[in-house]
Amino acid sequence: MRYIASAYMSNPQSPKGTVPNVVALEVLRKNGVDIDKLIKLITAGVGAEFTTYYYYTILRMHCTGLEGEGIKEIVEDARIEDRNHFEAMVPRLYELGGALPRDIRKFADQAGCPDAYLPDNWEDINSILKVLLEAEQCAIRSWGEVCDNTAGRDPRTYDIAQRIMQEEVEHEAWFIELLSKRPSGHFRRKFVGQSPHTGDQGSLIHL
Amino acid sequence: MSYRLVCKSDEIREKSMKMFRVDHTEVLVGRLYGRLFACNNSCPHRGASLVKGELKGDNVVCWMHGYEYNVFSGTLENMKSWKKEDAWMEQSSEWRRSGDLTLYPIMEKEGTIYVCL
Repeated sequence: MRYIASAYMSNPQSPKGTVPNVVALEVLRKNGVDIDKLIKLITAGVGAEFTTYYYYTILRMHCTGLEGEGIKEIVEDARIEDRNHFEAMVPRLYELGGALPRDIRKFADQAGCPDAYLPDNWEDINSILKVLLEAEQCAIRSWGEVCDNTAGRDPRTYDIAQRIMQEEVEHEAWFIELLSKRPSGHFRRKFVGQSPHTGDQGSLIHL
Repeated sequence: MSYRLVCKSDEIREKSMKMFRVDHTEVLVGRLYGRLFACNNSCPHRGASLVKGELKGDNVVCWMHGYEYNVFSGTLENMKSWKKEDAWMEQSSEWRRSGDLTLYPIMEKEGTIYVCL
């Protein structure tokens, strides 16, 4: 119960009634999961997905001209799939006793990855690709931490995190391929925001 | 608070570090210039596992965002800048903000290392 109590104490939206013993959390505690730490990592992770979705919107709008048109769709794929990652993991955050911060500014300030700002020289499409690549690489590290903290101990969180990781790894490969022209097995998604790995995890797919 | 056995002395060689779980707490133990240090394995910035980082001078460098903390004083020594090119914007000061390392007392006695949580 210690973990449950401490998680709710740090949550400004604490339930008014008594929270019964949550066996799903008890199991994690017995498995040695540091639930408070996991909540922080997940809050940072979904914060990064949410802010990335926002910044990718701006980046996509600036994919203009002949070169920009060529990458617009792939940026859109990554943008929608990052939003899907937010949708996929947020329910798990609440199951663990965590919550999204009430203030979106605080949410952005504690995101696990830096803001993917539009570079000043955005007319150079490579500059946008570099920002996209760095954002994806940070996301891989961020979800890697969640995977490492849950592998063999919290199968539910691990399952969602590893699905997100798989798509983030694919996104990194896309942008490396575009920047370096290295050979790649990548082919286009079937539709925008397909999320082949997290698609069953509550994603918002627009057809 | 009491000292807990962590490992044998020869497990922590010069300029190396290892993570140990002590009472559900992840403790990073390392040795620099013959001197031992122990701190919480979570980076104060975003909670990344510091054992995945590297040692540089007196600092441990976090693998996630490149923040550097002095392993003996615990203080944040260097904060990575995101303005690596003229065209790139720096991150906001609130996002960059970080606390210091949580240090633990450590001692070595008769070939064994102990930390106090």
